[in-house]
Amino acid sequence: MSNRYSCPDPSRPAADAAIRRPAAGLAVFALLVLWLAVPAVSGAAPGDAAKALEPAGETAEEVPGIERDDSPECMRCHWMETMAYRDRDTRKIVDLSIDRDVYRHSVHADLACRDCHARGYKHYPHRTSSADEALHCVGCHAERGDDGAPDLTDISLEFQESVHAIEASRPFDCFSCHNPHTFRPVEDGAPVEAVVATTNRLCLDCHTKLDTPVPKGHEWLPKPREHWASVRCIECHTPVEGRDMYQPSHALLGAPESNRNCVECHTQGSELLSQLYNYRAAEQREQEGFFAQALYNDAYIVGMSRSPLIDRIGLALAALMVLGVIAHGFGRYLAYRKQRASR
Amino acid sequence: MTELYLYPVWLRAWHWLNALIFLVSLVTGISMHFSLGWLIPFEVAVPVHNASGIVLTVSWVAFIIGNWVSGNGKHYLINLRSLPMDLFRQTRYYVYGIFVNAPHPFHVSEEHKLNALQTMSYVGVMYVLMPLLILSGWAFLLSPSLPETVLGIGTIWIVAMTHLVLSWMLLLFLIVHVYIITTGETVMTNMRAMLTGWHRERGPQPERAGDDAG
Ligand code: HEC
Ligand code: HEC
Ligand code: HEC
Ligand code: HEC
Ligand code: HEC
Ligand code: HEC
Ligand code: HEC
Repeated sequence: MSNRYSCPDPSRPAADAAIRRPAAGLAVFALLVLWLAVPAVSGAAPGDAAKALEPAGETAEEVPGIERDDSPECMRCHWMETMAYRDRDTRKIVDLSIDRDVYRHSVHADLACRDCHARGYKHYPHRTSSADEALHCVGCHAERGDDGAPDLTDISLEFQESVHAIEASRPFDCFSCHNPHTFRPVEDGAPVEAVVATTNRLCLDCHTKLDTPVPKGHEWLPKPREHWASVRCIECHTPVEGRDMYQPSHALLGAPESNRNCVECHTQGSELLSQLYNYRAAEQREQEGFFAQALYNDAYIVGMSRSPLIDRIGLALAALMVLGVIAHGFGRYLAYRKQRASR
Repeated sequence: MTELYLYPVWLRAWHWLNALIFLVSLVTGISMHFSLGWLIPFEVAVPVHNASGIVLTVSWVAFIIGNWVSGNGKHYLINLRSLPMDLFRQTRYYVYGIFVNAPHPFHVSEEHKLNALQTMSYVGVMYVLMPLLILSGWAFLLSPSLPETVLGIGTIWIVAMTHLVLSWMLLLFLIVHVYIITTGETVMTNMRAMLTGWHRERGPQPERAGDDAG
């Protein structure tokens, strides 16, 4: 699914694994041949040469999960990029392929296939299916706390309040957004644009219709594409109260409760944005000269002048005034007719 | 029939240019404020609004200078002593007299081309609201140079709300203004005056002269 941190092609829709390019398949095939041709297998596969991240000398314990136990056996088949089928009930494509490099980089890299998948997979056709295994992020983590699996209960609770859990028609769970074979949270200290891009990609992979110049439901937001690139969807779609500064909230809000208050972001008070903004405007002025800058200055339109209260009062007064004017004009017209008639 | 040449060319030219600039500012402003991309694309509205704001400033300065140099400014002087009575009369006319074909309580002359209500509203608009609107607009343009907060409140927010409230007030003024000009002797009397410079109206009719006295 979403190989977000090292996905070679970020535009590839995660939800639709059927879209696979033959060229990529060929490349992997070539890699595989190379890999088979090299007898010394331990962690030095050519495909990994670029991955300087891996520590060089690994003890037996630290052999990456994908090379341990019967994982290589599984990968004999499951490396194939095109391996997928269409589920009879949900009509969705189930992607059966595992990308080795991505797997190695995931939070579960240390685990072998069978650490999670029961042994019914030893032979093909498999005697079990992942649906029967009842694997869940939260449940497994609770059981495997000793192995270093972090507690996910908080996230799970938040998720249960989310609009997806409550309102989506199809069953929705952690796997809808996270693939256990690829999952890795965005790193601390990653550049903001990168964080925004990976997080929003996740949402936009399903909400494809929002990746347009005038996304439905966001018609009121100017320059949506610029917002998609500079703020995360969850900035507006999670409750403001009780936010954990270090962990994204999973309590996604539905349309009615979502935040649309421009001022929350676009004010002097909003440290992140106003500072960015003022900096930009000042810099521009230096570069382009005073008048050019004044002309193209856009510090102010950015929604800061929005005040629903004032707008409502203004609109009401204007409407009253127009009605008053119409009534007044009509009264004058009647008076004029009377005058004409009396002459 | 009285004929008065009330609006010299410069004044008429200024009036219509100012109206145009004001309308441009209004439409681009509304388009940005409510993000009505179909009205005017955002990318266009921003520089146009900024430009029209600057031109509106020039226009306002021209108005002040013009009034000063030409003496037109005298029409904006409020006669405090007669004001309450004049206001009352004018208001009574608009809310009542006009429906019973009462005569206009005010007659245009070289000395007084604006009735009390007009004087009040034009003074309010041109000497109070307009300069404040312009100032708040410039405050936006120069926002990076402003202090972050004033009395603990975000400066930009104050500026934004001022600009917004003033724009709404001026929109309301515009509605009334456009309507009130039709309340001359005929619907077109005042409009024609602003187009040709000449204010033409039939003299006060003899049988009603008494009403007008004072
Ligand atoms: C001979 C090729 C082959 C090998 C080896 C193989 N698989 Fe599979 N696997 C498949 C195919 C084909 C499917 C899809 C059809 C099916 O579900 O039976 C599949 C499906 C799966 C599924 C999804 C089942 C479902 O319906 O959701 C899992 C999980 C799985 N394999 C895990 C493993 C594991 C773990 C191993 C190693 C122990 C392994 N496989 C080895 C070919 C293979
Ligand atoms: C951290 C636990 C974990 C590990 C390790 C793991 N899997 Fe899975 N795998 C899962 C879960 C959970 C699912 C079910 C996902 C779902 O229902 O969408 C799954 C599903 C699958 C599927 C079915 C396709 C799908 O996405 O539903 C295949 C095939 C599969 N795993 C193969 C493997 C292979 C091969 C390995 C070893 C390289 C492996 N898995 C390692 C947890 C794991
Ligand atoms: C079948 C068991 C199992 C399932 C299912 C599972 N995990 Fe894990 N997970 C583990 C184990 C065991 C570890 C510890 C691995 C280690 O530290 O080497 C782990 C580690 C992690 C970590 C890394 C913590 C760290 O500090 O390194 C994260 C994050 C994580 N899992 C998230 C998830 C998410 C999200 C899902 C569901 C998509 C999921 N896990 C599904 C067993 C599981
Ligand atoms: C609607 C999509 C969605 C669902 C459903 C979802 N998550 Fe997430 N999750 C996200 C996003 C977005 C992030 C932030 C981006 C990232 O770190 O990948 C995230 C991040 C995480 C993280 C990393 C947090 C950190 O510290 O950075 C964990 C762990 C996690 N999710 C677990 C879960 C679990 C467990 C579930 C099921 C109860 C779940 N998620 C369901 C979207 C989702
Ligand atoms: C697996 C696909 C999928 C992913 C990933 C996903 N969504 Fe959704 N989302 C859905 C579905 C399905 C619905 C329900 C659609 C409906 O009822 O119209 C939904 C509904 C919503 C709604 C409520 C819409 C309403 O009408 O109230 C919001 C808001 C939303 N998603 C935001 C997000 C955000 C933000 C993310 C990323 C963190 C995200 N979604 C990720 C599939 C997804
Ligand atoms: C600036 C805040 C903001 C951002 C950023 C934002 N949204 Fe929204 N979104 C809203 C608000 C507010 C609504 C409710 C609009 C309404 O009901 O009129 C909404 C509505 C929605 C809906 C329901 C649309 C419908 O069909 O009615 C979905 C789905 C959604 N957002 C998903 C997303 C996704 C995915 C992203 C990121 C790409 C995102 N939003 C970014 C504020 C935001
Ligand atoms: C979640 C925070 C957030 C909210 C809420 C938000 N914005 Fe933004 N907006 C941003 C960020 C971040 C940028 C990018 C700023 C930059 O590039 O300098 C941006 C950019 C913009 C831009 C483009 C500015 C440019 O330089 O071209 C406009 C216009 C804008 N926002 C208007 C609005 C309006 C109007 C609203 C309310 C309807 C709104 N925003 C709500 C965060 C937000």
